[in-house]
Amino acid sequence: MTLTPLPRPLNAEDAAHFLRRTAFGATDAQIRALVGKNARTAAREALAFDQTTAPGNPFDPMQGAGPGPTLQLTRGAWLFELVYGPHPLREKLALTWSNHFVIGTDKVRNVHALAGYLGLLRRHAATASFERFTLEVAQSPAMLRYLDNDQNRRGKPNENFSRELLELFTTGIGHYSEEDVHEGARALTGWTFEGGRGNQNYLEPSRFVFNERQHDPGRKTYLGQSGELRGEDIIRLAATHPQTATFVSRKLHRAFLADTPDGAAVQGSAETWRRTNGNVRAVLEELLSSEAFYASRARIIRSPVEFVVGALRTLGQPTMDAKALLNLTQTAGRMGQVLLQPENVKGWDGGREWINDTTLLLRLQLAAALTLGSKAPPLTATPSALALTGLERPPSAAAALKLNPQQATYLHLISPEFQLA
Amino acid sequence: MTNRRDFLKLSALAAAATTGMPGFLARAAAQAGGSRTLVVIQLTGGNDGLNTLVPYSNGAYYAARPTIAIPKKDVLTLTPDLGMHPALRPLMGLWDGGRMAWMENVGYPNPNRSHFASMAIWHTADPSQAQSDGWIGRLAESIGDPFCASNIGAATPQALRASEFSLPSIDTVEQFQLKLPQGLGGAFGDMLDAARSGEAAFLTQATRQMMKNTARVQGGAQRYRAGATYPDGRFAAQLRDTARLIAAGVGQRVLYVSLGGFDTHAGQRADQDELLGTLASGLAAFHADLERQGLAENVVVMGFSEFGRRVAENGSAGTDHGKGSVMFALGSGVRGGVHGSSPDLEDLSDGDIKYRQDFRGVYAEALSGWLGLNAREILNGDFSGPGWLA
Repeated sequence: MTLTPLPRPLNAEDAAHFLRRTAFGATDAQIRALVGKNARTAAREALAFDQTTAPGNPFDPMQGAGPGPTLQLTRGAWLFELVYGPHPLREKLALTWSNHFVIGTDKVRNVHALAGYLGLLRRHAATASFERFTLEVAQSPAMLRYLDNDQNRRGKPNENFSRELLELFTTGIGHYSEEDVHEGARALTGWTFEGGRGNQNYLEPSRFVFNERQHDPGRKTYLGQSGELRGEDIIRLAATHPQTATFVSRKLHRAFLADTPDGAAVQGSAETWRRTNGNVRAVLEELLSSEAFYASRARIIRSPVEFVVGALRTLGQPTMDAKALLNLTQTAGRMGQVLLQPENVKGWDGGREWINDTTLLLRLQLAAALTLGSKAPPLTATPSALALTGLERPPSAAAALKLNPQQATYLHLISPEFQLA
Repeated sequence: MTNRRDFLKLSALAAAATTGMPGFLARAAAQAGGSRTLVVIQLTGGNDGLNTLVPYSNGAYYAARPTIAIPKKDVLTLTPDLGMHPALRPLMGLWDGGRMAWMENVGYPNPNRSHFASMAIWHTADPSQAQSDGWIGRLAESIGDPFCASNIGAATPQALRASEFSLPSIDTVEQFQLKLPQGLGGAFGDMLDAARSGEAAFLTQATRQMMKNTARVQGGAQRYRAGATYPDGRFAAQLRDTARLIAAGVGQRVLYVSLGGFDTHAGQRADQDELLGTLASGLAAFHADLERQGLAENVVVMGFSEFGRRVAENGSAGTDHGKGSVMFALGSGVRGGVHGSSPDLEDLSDGDIKYRQDFRGVYAEALSGWLGLNAREILNGDFSGPGWLA
């Protein structure tokens, strides 16, 4: 059973909802422009992104004075794209994939490896082939380094990547054996990279190489298939496993529908996934125009990055100086989300895990800094309650009545409704 | 054993007593409430137990680890068979004073080599993975106080998840306070008072709880002065905040601190050596601070990792995920020594040691023996430990 499409044209709250989920939030003008559209058209247009980026990005990682500063600049450059870029859905998907095919800057500090990885997430953001995407990730220097497959050699297997490929990237736990992990590692021996190794060489380019001499050519059995399997076979078998459709569809539902996805709806997407051989664009187009998507309101707790980007996009993308933007990447980090650095390879758990006393305090402080602080960006147009909360008459409306526009905006930004999408 | 009802009364008394009272009085009141504290240290990533508590007289250990074994000459000798990794030297004073315990060969049935599954098992104290609440969350619910346990750090681990409320994470004590902009207190209150459901209601409740918790901490934490010099770095800073919260006497029974990076698949020696140094120097300063504050008698530290590592090193001078490992404990309330027998390195299960002590027995002793709680209720079963408390 596939997902039922939304039968009505979008009303104002539908449009605001769609933009909260697919564009981090939007101004009143952007919401109005969507009202009356057909849901399928809205989804198709949002997914029709190319690889153009925001002009005037002030951060160039190549200019970093050491590995630490280049990481700062890499994060700053991504935040700039998230806030000011022409394709917010592409960036939302890249952020989602960075929490699926996880790498971390604790181990990956080479500027080209990081740029290559991020480019991969953007190019495959709505990929036509999840298998191709998985293969390119598996062969990226960032992933080879992060999960140690560059150290995986014949007779001396390192099974770190082989395990996470199954547990976290494709089938999920419960659909493979320890033996599959061992055999997968054998098949992936010899996949490594050259160049850009070591902390000192953070500016040197690196590329995937297959080291035939380190490859274990013997017979293996993996996910029920036997033969002289090679790395490409392992990726194909894992990425096209029927359970992968369910496991990754569920992650898309977590990103776009609800922190606690509905099992039947996930099955609907998984079926489309299998029918289209892992065409993520087709799955997303159906998902983002479905009745289930539009019925699922305020069921996702915005992550720290989504909170920051959502606030700035709702405020009309005000100009911020470079220093302030860099500070925002750090603020998001203190709220629990450092770009390109989830706490571990499983990624951020998200949902209610974003919320605790400390992170709530930081959200309050940041909302005040963006609206009431001495360095608050100027408000060109006061966002409506709809743009801020997704509701034409939110519960916080009465409390905001007697406040001036900046204060009212602050109050909405700290309301439970703004924390949700 | 004190029952749950008594604890409800005691924690209410401690909460009432500590508000606006001078530090020493508040501390006395909290102590009257039976306020011993358990500090849990999580070593995230799977700490290699064999290179932590080293079986230096065992040839099989050296045979399995030609590159990364700790040479016998470097080991800090504890017993004729076991010694500590040299980076743990700052803890030797505690060992010599009989205030450090090692629990050998700890694990659980049907070990899981996934970081996340295994960590969840340690957090929920449930190897069947049926529970979603953490063992400290259940502890807090049995006490009935959403502030009796806190995580020190930004993200709350699953161990502190409770079904009825969320336990706080305190990133830094200094910044743990609510400062609303001038003139907006009334509007803030009205905004929170509006009726809500679903995730919005959850967020409203979390905000109200945060307001209570910050008020409670700021009521007691301002008078603390560190009684020892802590090393640099985040882990030591978190231990200093832990000492500060204990000194504030605001009624927290469990405090939780994590140190990550133990997933040493490659080049293990450099990484683990540095991490164990961070661990030991931080804990030594923490203990010295508590002694200076006159609080050392009230605090026990208990440390764990989600699993140990494979006995044999891999081809990258590292180790892959394993099964059982060691736990440790520090404090005046601890029975010093090595508890439990060391694993047989020549009788392995799939390349891993076979655990002999269920970690829930170690937890059970902390719960009943140290905190005076009903371990059976919190852990959903009877578990006996190795007798690591004095």
